[in-house]
Amino acid sequence: MEHATSELREFISDLVIPHQRCNVNINPDHITMLEGTKIKKQHSRKRRAHKSSTLSRREYAALGLNTLPTKQMKYEEALPLHHLWKGYVREHLQLREGDEVPKVHDGRYDEFSRKLVKLDLHGAKLKVLQSKCSTLESLAGICVMDTKNVLKLLGKDHRVRTIPKSECVFGLKVGNMEFTIFGQHLNIRPAERSVKKIKNFVKPFM
Amino acid sequence: MSKDNKMKHLTQLGISSRMNFLFQASNLMAVGNQPKLAAYYGKLCRNVGNKAVMHMAPALKRSLCRRCFLPLIPGVNTELHVAEGAQDAKTAAHAPSNGAAKTKKKRHRRQRKKPQSQNTGNTNQEESEVQIQESTEQLSLFLECSLCCGRRSFAANSQRDCWLEQPQSMVQVVSFPKEKDQR
Repeated sequence: MEHATSELREFISDLVIPHQRCNVNINPDHITMLEGTKIKKQHSRKRRAHKSSTLSRREYAALGLNTLPTKQMKYEEALPLHHLWKGYVREHLQLREGDEVPKVHDGRYDEFSRKLVKLDLHGAKLKVLQSKCSTLESLAGICVMDTKNVLKLLGKDHRVRTIPKSECVFGLKVGNMEFTIFGQHLNIRPAERSVKKIKNFVKPFM
Repeated sequence: MSKDNKMKHLTQLGISSRMNFLFQASNLMAVGNQPKLAAYYGKLCRNVGNKAVMHMAPALKRSLCRRCFLPLIPGVNTELHVAEGAQDAKTAAHAPSNGAAKTKKKRHRRQRKKPQSQNTGNTNQEESEVQIQESTEQLSLFLECSLCCGRRSFAANSQRDCWLEQPQSMVQVVSFPKEKDQR
C-alpha cells in the first residue's frame, strides 16, 4: 500500500512551492483511490474474442512502463545491479585480474574494441566528463535505463537523472581500466546495438 | 564443419551473455520491488534475442509475463493458483482466448470416444484410470501478473514435455574453458 501511494505523494509535493515542501504532511488515511473509469463503449463479443495476448505500445505506455519515478529508488538498491554488471563485463570482455587495455599495435585491439561497443551499460557507474551543457558536467551515477537518445543515471542522492547521450562524453571504469565513451556513438537503441555492424573508423566529435 | 560450428557459437557468445545478464537483472529488480525496471529489462532481453535471431530457453521464457515481460516469481510477485472447474462452461467462457477453450473441448471429445469403442473388453478399473488421467490433464495452474493482469497458465500434465526439455533434443554440448578465479 505504501509503495502505491508514494508515487502520488511525490506528485503532490512537487506541486507545492519548493521552500514549503518540507512542511507537506500527507495522511495516508485520507487518500482514496478511484480505480478504473466508466466504460465508454460496450464492446461487442466478437471484438473481445480478438483481443491479443500482447500489449500494444499505447497500453504499455498507459501502464507507465516507459517512465521511471524520479525519487523512489535508493542508490543502495542499485548496488547489487552494479555487482551483477561487473561480473557480466568480466565475462563479456574475457578479462582476468590485472588486465590492461590492449595497445593499438596489439593483435587483440580490434576484437577488444568491437566487443566494447556492444557492451551493455545497464548497471554501469558512469560519469559525465564533458558536455555542451555545463550543468550536466560531473554528474555521476549508476545507469538504470538506456534508450535511444537518453541515459537515466541514479545518483548518490537517490535521484534518477535523465541525460541526453549525443551532447555528452562519458567516463567508465572497469577494474583498473578507464574508458571514455563519446555519447554520439551510443545513439542507437540498446537492443539494436548488439547486432549493429561497426565501421572501422569513427571520429570523435569534440 | 566442427570449426565452423565453433566459430558460430563464439560469435553469438556476446549476445547470449548479454541476454543472461539482462534476465538476471530483471529477476533482481523484481525481488527488489522495482516492477517497472524489471519489466523493462525483461523486455530488453526479449528484444535483444529477437534482433540477433536467438531463442530464450523455454523454461526461462515461461517465467516472464507474456504481456509486460515482468518476471513472475511465485511467492514474491505473484501466487500460483489452480484454475477452478475447467469442465464448467462458465469458466471456459472466461478463459483468456477462445481458441484455447475450443481445443480443450475437442480433446475431451476424442478421449471419450476411444474408451467407448474399446469398452467391450475393458474392466471398470481401467475406465476409472482413464478418468483420473483426464481430470489431471484438464487441471491447469496459472500465474497472474501484478502489473498488467495478464495470465500465464500451464497444464499440469507431466507426460507432455516441451521438445527442447527432452533429452533426445540434445545434439551436441559445447563447453568453454572456465575461468579459474571469478574475481
